[in-house]
Amino acid sequence: MERQIINKKKRVFSLEPNKNPSAVFTRKYTSHLVPALKKLNMNKNSSKQTVKHEVDMALALSAQEFAWSRFLLQKLSSSTNPTTTTSSSDGIRILERSDKEGGNKEGEIEEKLRELQKLLPGGEEMNVEEMLSEIGNYIKCLELQTIALKSIVQDST
Amino acid sequence: MGGESNEGGEMGFKHGDDESGGISRVGITSMPLYAKADPFFSSADWDPVVNAAAAGFSSSHYHPSMAMDNPGMSCFSHYQPGSVSGFAGDMPASLLPFGDCGGGGQIGHFLGSDKKGERLIRAGESSHEDHHQVSDDAVLGASPVGKRRLPEAESQWNKKAVEEFQEDPQRGNDQSQKKHKNDQSKETVYKESSQSEEAPKENYIHMRARRGQATNSHSLAERVRREKISERMRLLQELVPGCNKITGKAVMLDEIINYVQSLQQQVEFLSMKLATVNPEINIDIDRILAKDLLQSRDRNTPTLGLNPFAGFQGNIPNLSATTNPQYNPLPQTTLESELQNLYQMGFVSNPSTMSSFSPNGN
Repeated sequence: MERQIINKKKRVFSLEPNKNPSAVFTRKYTSHLVPALKKLNMNKNSSKQTVKHEVDMALALSAQEFAWSRFLLQKLSSSTNPTTTTSSSDGIRILERSDKEGGNKEGEIEEKLRELQKLLPGGEEMNVEEMLSEIGNYIKCLELQTIALKSIVQDST
Repeated sequence: MGGESNEGGEMGFKHGDDESGGISRVGITSMPLYAKADPFFSSADWDPVVNAAAAGFSSSHYHPSMAMDNPGMSCFSHYQPGSVSGFAGDMPASLLPFGDCGGGGQIGHFLGSDKKGERLIRAGESSHEDHHQVSDDAVLGASPVGKRRLPEAESQWNKKAVEEFQEDPQRGNDQSQKKHKNDQSKETVYKESSQSEEAPKENYIHMRARRGQATNSHSLAERVRREKISERMRLLQELVPGCNKITGKAVMLDEIINYVQSLQQQVEFLSMKLATVNPEINIDIDRILAKDLLQSRDRNTPTLGLNPFAGFQGNIPNLSATTNPQYNPLPQTTLESELQNLYQMGFVSNPSTMSSFSPNGN
């Protein structure tokens, strides 16, 4: 397939768009989020929590091949105002914990793994190896989500 | 051929003398050996190979154990006749399986220690196996340990090494099993050896016991688990920015935690911002997708489960501000930063929707 940039004569040959996973994700994400936002817009009910809800919902729906997305969906559907992200207080908590921890190296690592598990939706139900793989996907999807959100925000300002 | 056969005949005589001398010297009841040897030397049909081997025999000190129907026997010329007395009677029998001279070549080293000859040779054989497996282990990622293993195997043919290698045949047998329970005695042997060198044995795919470590199935499983975890950690290291120099699980985990938290906070912040902005927006999906959205940071990272996550180029479609459900397929290039730059240039000069949008500080 060819796309031509409007003002340039460069030609772009695209690969199968459905094969690039980051493209797939982003497309899905925006396709979920934007109509939802529009709907929210209609209802004039855009509280912060609801937008957040939609944001998370879009994330979960766009990444359904991963385990954490299923957990996220469960969380979202079960509660109306879920807060899936951790606040900054958790960062402070980590620092405190690292101060409190003795020299027990294994214990520290275990603690940190558990902390990581808490960050991941559904992480606590997984075992550690699984969790580590899922964290990789989660990070990537979060990155793409931030990019998409940034562009949406910028587009509308 | 006739001349050669004469020589062979002569050699036969010579060897015959030596044979008798060998018998008397050694006192080994290796009658079956000589029974084998006789047809070997007395056959009129000399193959060139056999002839060469025989010639090799004649040039070296003759040794009853050399009387074997093995073309690779020329390597046995390393043997000194004086050491014959040290060998047990069944030792030559154990030498029979050797097809390669390489195995035999190393055997020469073993001659110093007597009465352990059989085991030493077996050890030499199995050490070759270990060498092969060491190369496999390098693939598995235990390469630094593997390098230590190799010199350790090739050095020190002292008594202590002999004791260690007594266990090697058993280890070789266990290789095919997934997990195996070993005796405590073996464990102690391993512990002794571990004090001399600190190289633990690598983990093969089949989960072999490590030297100097407990060999319960529990600890084996534990070790497998830990290896998997560290492998995943390595992948994560490449995913999280700025973690290339970090070594050590704890710091790495810290970084990952911080990164995930920061991403989540970013999402939260952006959604708040979106909430404030939301009433006024007239969002155009096409425009959003057209932007440089998917241009991640310029790095090629292996991602767990998602391959490949690379820089992605969005292109600007015709700016039809329609709610186009069928998103124009975005042209994509994978892993090509040059095209990325081109696109950026194209974007910048595009008068339409290009804001100063630069994701992730790109």
